[in-house]
Amino acid sequence: MSAGPARATALRVVARSATRGEEQLVELEVLAHEAGLHPDLVRRLIALGLLDAADQPAGAPLFRRDAAARLARAARLRRDLGLNYAGAILACELLERIDDLEERLARYEHRR
Amino acid sequence: MAVGFKDYYEVLGVARDARDEEIRSAYRKLARTYHPDVNKDPDAEDRFKEISEAYEVLRDPEKRERYDRLGANWRAGQDVSGAPGYEDLFRQGAFGDSVRVQFGEESGFSDFFQSLFGGRGAARGGSGVDGFTTRGADHEAVLELSLAEAAAGGKRRLSLADGRSYEVTIPTGVRDGQRIRLAGEGGRGHGGGPSGDLFLRVRIQPDPRFRLEGYDLHLNLPVSPWEAALGATVPVPTLTGTARVRVPAGSSSGRRLRLRGQGMPDAQGGHGDLYAAVQIMVPKKLSRKEHKLFEQLADASKFDPREVRS
Repeated sequence: MSAGPARATALRVVARSATRGEEQLVELEVLAHEAGLHPDLVRRLIALGLLDAADQPAGAPLFRRDAAARLARAARLRRDLGLNYAGAILACELLERIDDLEERLARYEHRR
Repeated sequence: MAVGFKDYYEVLGVARDARDEEIRSAYRKLARTYHPDVNKDPDAEDRFKEISEAYEVLRDPEKRERYDRLGANWRAGQDVSGAPGYEDLFRQGAFGDSVRVQFGEESGFSDFFQSLFGGRGAARGGSGVDGFTTRGADHEAVLELSLAEAAAGGKRRLSLADGRSYEVTIPTGVRDGQRIRLAGEGGRGHGGGPSGDLFLRVRIQPDPRFRLEGYDLHLNLPVSPWEAALGATVPVPTLTGTARVRVPAGSSSGRRLRLRGQGMPDAQGGHGDLYAAVQIMVPKKLSRKEHKLFEQLADASKFDPREVRS
């Protein structure tokens, strides 16, 4: 349960902006793989309104790659808190709004 | 090997004779508080693991009965490996049934749990023993940078509360609020699922000299009345040092002087500008000579700033 030993990792990272134009779009199966979920479960979560396709060229919907984190979060909340999928999606949306408000508040307080 | 006792009843805050509904209710309440997707406190994930482990045992009648056979007089952390009947109780074989909540390649549960229920073996494999795989939670940490550091970019060492340490290369011109993604460095996946990401949220510290607007920097440029009236070349601080700027004769307070390309760099390789706003400063105390000269100026001048304004 204790944290592992300290380790140093040298990483070259690229800062991503949050603009849609710079986000990579992927197919549902790729998104499911990155979320660690079965594609059928991802389809179900999409049908329940957890996320929308960012683009739909020739009938194959494409999704923002970072949506995998959102899918996984909904699945974890359902599993660990005993929520149904609709409740997990609502929790996800509310948590994201809280994240956004906390970030705005932090920036506001930071500038005062 | 020493095996520290875990008081699962204490972890969930329930009595030893608690009913199943009380245990479930206590777990749900604590899980809502400490779930790593809900609580960003670095210690929350460990606390959630404890809670999950306790619930995993107490929710299952067979596991609970086995756990209760240890007796009620143990305190958390006490070594149970020398307890009477320990070998019989702990080594008669793993239950081998499902471990509902797992973290990473191993179950993430304590040695105590694993020696009692064999969770370590059960948790291995490409998919969760409960048939559930998920990507791990994304984590976020704040990366505080000065304005100059954000503008220049470069390497920066970052240590997290859990002991992990990274040397991060910061891109030049990184923005306040921008997130830097360290792929796969977040929470571990469940049942063989991929790890989440670690996001570093850039927080640019306020600078006493500059105010940042977009990619442009703004500052106040104090000048004397005679510099403003006669014109002068004065030093102006920039992100990388000092530049000299020509204050045109007849500059009033508020006049903005632009230093092209001396603002923040952007992702396309360009730069914003630096705007220096003229701020005329008057000495608090005048020497006798200065006083006399200002009196002469007042007598000689027909300039009325209120008239100019109207």
